Amino acid sequence: MTGTAMPDIDERLAEDVGEDVHTARPWIVLVWNDPINLMSYVAFVFRKLFGYSRQKADKLMLDVHHKGRAVVSSGTREKAEMDVFRLHEHGLWATMQQDD
Amino acid sequence: MVRRRRPVAFTRSGDLVEVRLGDEERDLVSNLAGQFHSLLTEGPGPDQRRLYPTAYPDDPVRNADYADLVHDDLLRSRLEAADVVTATVGNDTLEPDELEQWMVVLNSLRLILGTRLDISEADEFDPEAPDGAERSLLLWLGMLLEEAVEASLGFLP
Repeated sequence: MTGTAMPDIDERLAEDVGEDVHTARPWIVLVWNDPINLMSYVAFVFRKLFGYSRQKADKLMLDVHHKGRAVVSSGTREKAEMDVFRLHEHGLWATMQQDD
Repeated sequence: MVRRRRPVAFTRSGDLVEVRLGDEERDLVSNLAGQFHSLLTEGPGPDQRRLYPTAYPDDPVRNADYADLVHDDLLRSRLEAADVVTATVGNDTLEPDELEQWMVVLNSLRLILGTRLDISEADEFDPEAPDGAERSLLLWLGMLLEEAVEASLGFLP
């Protein structure tokens, strides 16, 4: 990027653009199997937080249970972090990472 | 073994949830909610590990930022939940959002207790085991939570 008139803004723009490129790959939110949480509770939390149908919530819960983890949501880093926070608030074991 | 079926603890009744718990059960819930509140205010210990999970397992720097950002909110929402349970433990009915706070407390207690007991899915319940009393408590909390979930499903859109 060229231009010298307003270096601060240019720098910020460059940073913003860099961040955009960086986040072009979406972030995914994973929920992991754990021996404490109840299956019915986990499915309930998916329905409550994400508005998923009973079928979708049950399928995700069963994926967590049988495969050890499931991707429950995705999006920008900010959205993923908010989803992780809400899952943590409800006691679920959630992490986030950039999709490969 | 023939056992008298205890009543379901939480049942949806219109816009409310009916609570059917005996006095001893209510005392126990009240006591546990108080202990939960004290434990939280004492600060995080190893048995509270599951209450503050890692968000970025591969990125310690981002994870530290995340933990700083959310710790107070996670703490506050759980303290509020404990307060709601303490305030409503004697009620015959609960509002749906009050029941949700009960669920937060029941589930958090299970996470703390389960971490303390280091339980695994393969564990079989043995009431004679040295930690049998705590395992019974874990199962009882699970039963209440299960019934709370069942009652709450009707309030979902």
